[in-house]
Amino acid sequence: MSLKLANIAKRFGAFTALHDINLRARPGEFLALLGPSGSGKTTLLRIIAGLEFPERGTVYYEGEDITHLSVAERRIGFVFQQYALFKHMTVAENVGFGLSVRPRRERPSRRKIRRRAQELLDLVQLGDLGKRLPAQLSGGQRQRVALARALAVDPKLLLLDEPFGALDAKVRKELRHWLREFHDRVGLTSIFVTHDQEEALEVADRVVVMSNGAIEQIGTPAEVYDNPVNAFVFDFVGESNCVPVVAADGRATFRGAPLAVETAGLRGAGDLYFRPHEARIGVDGDAGLPATVTLVRPREGRARVEAEVAGLSELIELDIAPDTAPSVGETVTIVPTRARLFPARDPSEAAA
Amino acid sequence: MTGALATSRTGRAALMALAFAFLGLFIVAPLVAVFAGALSQGIAAYGGALVEPDALSAIKLTLLVAAISVPLNVVFGLAASWAITKFDFPGKNLLITLIDLPFSVSPVVAGLIYVLLFGAQGWLGPWLEAHDVQIIFAVPGIVLATMFITFPFVARELIPLMEEQGRDDEEAAISLGASGWQTFRKVTLPNVRWALLYGVLLCNARAMGEFGAVSVVSGHIRGKTNTMPLHVEILYNEYSFAAAFAVASLLALLALATLALKSILEWRYGVHGKGHL
Repeated sequence: MSLKLANIAKRFGAFTALHDINLRARPGEFLALLGPSGSGKTTLLRIIAGLEFPERGTVYYEGEDITHLSVAERRIGFVFQQYALFKHMTVAENVGFGLSVRPRRERPSRRKIRRRAQELLDLVQLGDLGKRLPAQLSGGQRQRVALARALAVDPKLLLLDEPFGALDAKVRKELRHWLREFHDRVGLTSIFVTHDQEEALEVADRVVVMSNGAIEQIGTPAEVYDNPVNAFVFDFVGESNCVPVVAADGRATFRGAPLAVETAGLRGAGDLYFRPHEARIGVDGDAGLPATVTLVRPREGRARVEAEVAGLSELIELDIAPDTAPSVGETVTIVPTRARLFPARDPSEAAA
Repeated sequence: MTGALATSRTGRAALMALAFAFLGLFIVAPLVAVFAGALSQGIAAYGGALVEPDALSAIKLTLLVAAISVPLNVVFGLAASWAITKFDFPGKNLLITLIDLPFSVSPVVAGLIYVLLFGAQGWLGPWLEAHDVQIIFAVPGIVLATMFITFPFVARELIPLMEEQGRDDEEAAISLGASGWQTFRKVTLPNVRWALLYGVLLCNARAMGEFGAVSVVSGHIRGKTNTMPLHVEILYNEYSFAAAFAVASLLALLALATLALKSILEWRYGVHGKGHL
């Protein structure tokens, strides 16, 4: 056990940013804090860092209470969303900063600092850019400089705030793979914050899904994607369709039309969730949602179908094999092949 | 060329002509007049007016006042803007309002406040007299009044910039183990250096040129408590126009130098000071 948070709570004035957060990070683990803006994920990261302090609760590291230690005392490497590189210093000076501000007795010689900075720049594959200024680097390169700078102080924990947030889509994807691979090479326990579920699922060992200052679910990417504990998680970690249904006697119906789904003991109003690739177009006699196709488009070797269901304000989206795709205007039956039923979030919607 | 564009061109030309006419009438013409007046009795008279003992004393006093008040206001301005932009505390908005106070108060009122406080009939007057300390009608009063008038300049330059730069750089430095002082010296100060220089320049120009507040507290003792602007006024009232303009021309030169430096700074500032990495 390396990092443990117990009952962490934080308020900003009347706004409760976090309530009762319990979380553990295992040694060497890559953890993602995933949530929409305002979910408290960045506040939580800053509390772990010691840049913010909780109102209640305890932060433990290796069993030791570090709640009241400052960020420097915690030996945390923090990578800021906008990198916060010192723009008047060269890249190498930025990386060496943490060593150069040590008290004189502990400070390595200038040559040693330079050498360490060079090692770290080599590690992030920017070995020959040490003499440049941050302004002369691309976004992805700045990100890696910020990472090298954070590593210079031999942190026990690496924290990254929206590490890909300031980058364009293509660089983002590249850097994602790079960061995962880098983490495996360095082996440092790392936590990053993101609002992008794809990023979290692709990079992290475990994902912590947050909303409104609370943790909704903690699990591996597969767990949160395939077995979300509630409607929020289902909706947030991937594309989803939601159909309000009524469950009775082990059967779920939408406006009287029966659907072939497990009700798992749920009675009354519920929301049926399924992902676009977890449904098919029914053949004669299949129980499903009657719908009119409004759009068919090719998408990565599949066909994206959008269909209107009478009584639903949102279009139903499907990803199906192109040869099974209907044509626009056709009336079809949508049959969810794998769906999850959650108690209705808004009862009045299901009754409609 | 389209009609709409032609119209807007005419409009633009008219606006520019208006702006330049105003500048010419109210800024350039008086400036030329100052130098013409200063040199109206020849170079020798001009030089003579500047090296005359009372003029020299006024120049020295002005430099002394600026030399004391500008550094103190730099320290104050840095401290205030650092506190306001990097920390949250109750009373922050009050502090911001107070910093702006000298801009909204008439300088004469500012001077009178010091007379009321430190003058012979003032609150602290008897105590000061008993301890043989003279503030009003002496150099300390002039320094105090000048500091009051000029204290917003540095802070006003720094606060918006530091606000825009946010706290990330400082937090990054601290997370890397830097102390508060190291963070200030190695991160914050370099980030604001051009704005700081700019603020110092404006502060200095005003410190040397301040008339109203200083006039109230100075007592106009020739050779002792006269600053350059006060000296100019006295000479002018005595109909020594050439001499008055000669001293005034020094102040005008200061203004021109400030303007030039300001432009250079703005140019550099635009290139290096803006933006956040």
